[in-house]
Amino acid sequence: MTVLLEVQGLHKHFGGVQAVEACSFTAAEGQITGLIGPNGAGKSTAIDLISGFKIPDAGKVRFEGREVQGKTPHVISRMGLIRTFQSPREWPGLSVLENLILACFEPRRERFWRSLRGPSRAEKEKANAQLVEARAILDEFGLFHLRNERAGNLSGGQKRLLEFARMRMAKPRLVILDEPMGGVNPVLGERMAAAVLGFVTAGTSVVIVEHNLPFIERVTDQVVVMAEGRVIAEAPFDQLRGNPAVVDAYLGELPTYDDAES
Amino acid sequence: MIDYLVTVLTEGSIFAIMALGLNIVWGWSGDFDIAFYGYVALGAYMTLVLTVGPATDPTTYILGLTLPFPLAVALAVVSAMVLALIVGAIALRHLRGIYFSIVTLGAVYVLYVVTGQFVPLFNGYNGVSGLFDPMGDVLGLDYSSYSFFYLGLCIAVLIIVLLLTTRLNGSRFGLALRSLREDERAAAAFGRDIYVTKLKAYVLGAGLGGLGGALYAGYLTAFNPSAWSPVETIILYAAILVGGRGSTRGVVLGVAVMVMGLQEATRYLPEIANQPSFAPALRLIITGVVLVLFIRFRPQGILPERRFRDKDPAGKGDAAAVEPVVTGPKLDTGAA
Repeated sequence: MTVLLEVQGLHKHFGGVQAVEACSFTAAEGQITGLIGPNGAGKSTAIDLISGFKIPDAGKVRFEGREVQGKTPHVISRMGLIRTFQSPREWPGLSVLENLILACFEPRRERFWRSLRGPSRAEKEKANAQLVEARAILDEFGLFHLRNERAGNLSGGQKRLLEFARMRMAKPRLVILDEPMGGVNPVLGERMAAAVLGFVTAGTSVVIVEHNLPFIERVTDQVVVMAEGRVIAEAPFDQLRGNPAVVDAYLGELPTYDDAES
Repeated sequence: MIDYLVTVLTEGSIFAIMALGLNIVWGWSGDFDIAFYGYVALGAYMTLVLTVGPATDPTTYILGLTLPFPLAVALAVVSAMVLALIVGAIALRHLRGIYFSIVTLGAVYVLYVVTGQFVPLFNGYNGVSGLFDPMGDVLGLDYSSYSFFYLGLCIAVLIIVLLLTTRLNGSRFGLALRSLREDERAAAAFGRDIYVTKLKAYVLGAGLGGLGGALYAGYLTAFNPSAWSPVETIILYAAILVGGRGSTRGVVLGVAVMVMGLQEATRYLPEIANQPSFAPALRLIITGVVLVLFIRFRPQGILPERRFRDKDPAGKGDAAAVEPVVTGPKLDTGAA
């Protein structure tokens, strides 16, 4: 199994708070890796450090074998590592369809001179193909009828789905999902679980930060547990129950997936 | 009456060019730039010092060349863009929102004071003058027909600017700029270089500002600090807001309403004895009231920015479920 993302000894402190301390883990290609831990464990900071939105004090992040720590977010994104945010960050004033189209970053077509000259025939065809793909993805996520709506007008759950749809459109090598289930009802949760599994089918590996443990249990192949800025365990979910450090720090009495359903 | 109309329309086209430039910065890219009128002023000054010839005592200004008007305009646009590149490179690096605005406000006041106090640059508060009927000699136009020619020139330039901005408006570049305005972090997460893209928009907008300023100089024949203060930018913002922020057609309409319509309509108010400043003051008051009313009741403007509408060639969809509901069997854990 090839390692897609390798995090090694990542450090970050804010003032006197050591948010992330010697954080090391790996995410394998073609897998769904969960990242869990109590509030303040440093999960979100770790994501920010990996995706370039914050700069680590020390440590290395390798993506596809290349070191990316300290690079800017757009450079890392162009390499094929795209992240979502804890609250959905759609482009509210743009239409749902435009949100999808913009998820594909195309450096050539977005250049100023190129835009001024107008698209070539090949580019027009490509734009059309993109439109068709975007419609299909929206249909899959049940957002097709809303495609001309301002994205800002969508409900919270629909915005989450839009985030997923954008990721499907962007087709990154690795996607980092930051609490995608926040504020999502169980019915929609089904759809999101299917979508997360669908990423892998589409060739996108997944790292997922989530507090919803039944969800994590269901979709992940491997789970990384963080507490107080450190990684305290790295194993498939069912092996974590027997790990006293994990139970002590986070799990406690563990609910099963069926408990959450009823 | 016809002369008056020509005057109003010439001024209107010039302000429309400036407003279209500012619309790129504020309407598309989303940066509230207060330095904008500085680029207009630089465009005007540069056009003057490149065309009116050497300074004669007691006036002093730089260059003092006698270049052909179109070349001078081109150079004026370039200098406005260079200045914008410097200011933008500093202000856009890390600052957004009100912090960006404050830095640009600072920048334009520095420009304003330097222009006024540093006399060898543009002759201080007296300004530069003497640009009479640019290109009139070459084309053999007399005084009466010249104003028509200049109106035609301004409208022609406005049409070119309109065509270019309309094309950019619907392009991927325009769409990418909108994504920066709407959510910058998401734009970065999807691969956009925020700093460089915003800087491009800023310099482009300033270029159009410089172009407007250059034409304004040819229209006014002279320019001095009393012709521009940082507050002038607010008139342009009012036009954009009333017309429709981000909308090219809206901005032109906004200029027609707020610059031509409102400014000119208040000219016909009765003069009040011993109160010569009454009309100008009332004009500002009306501008303010209109702005507040629009912000409260129609913030998207008269002609709002239009979004791309998909006409649904597949003929499916609108009857699809409103709420996404999945009721299939549960997937196995680790099905992948």
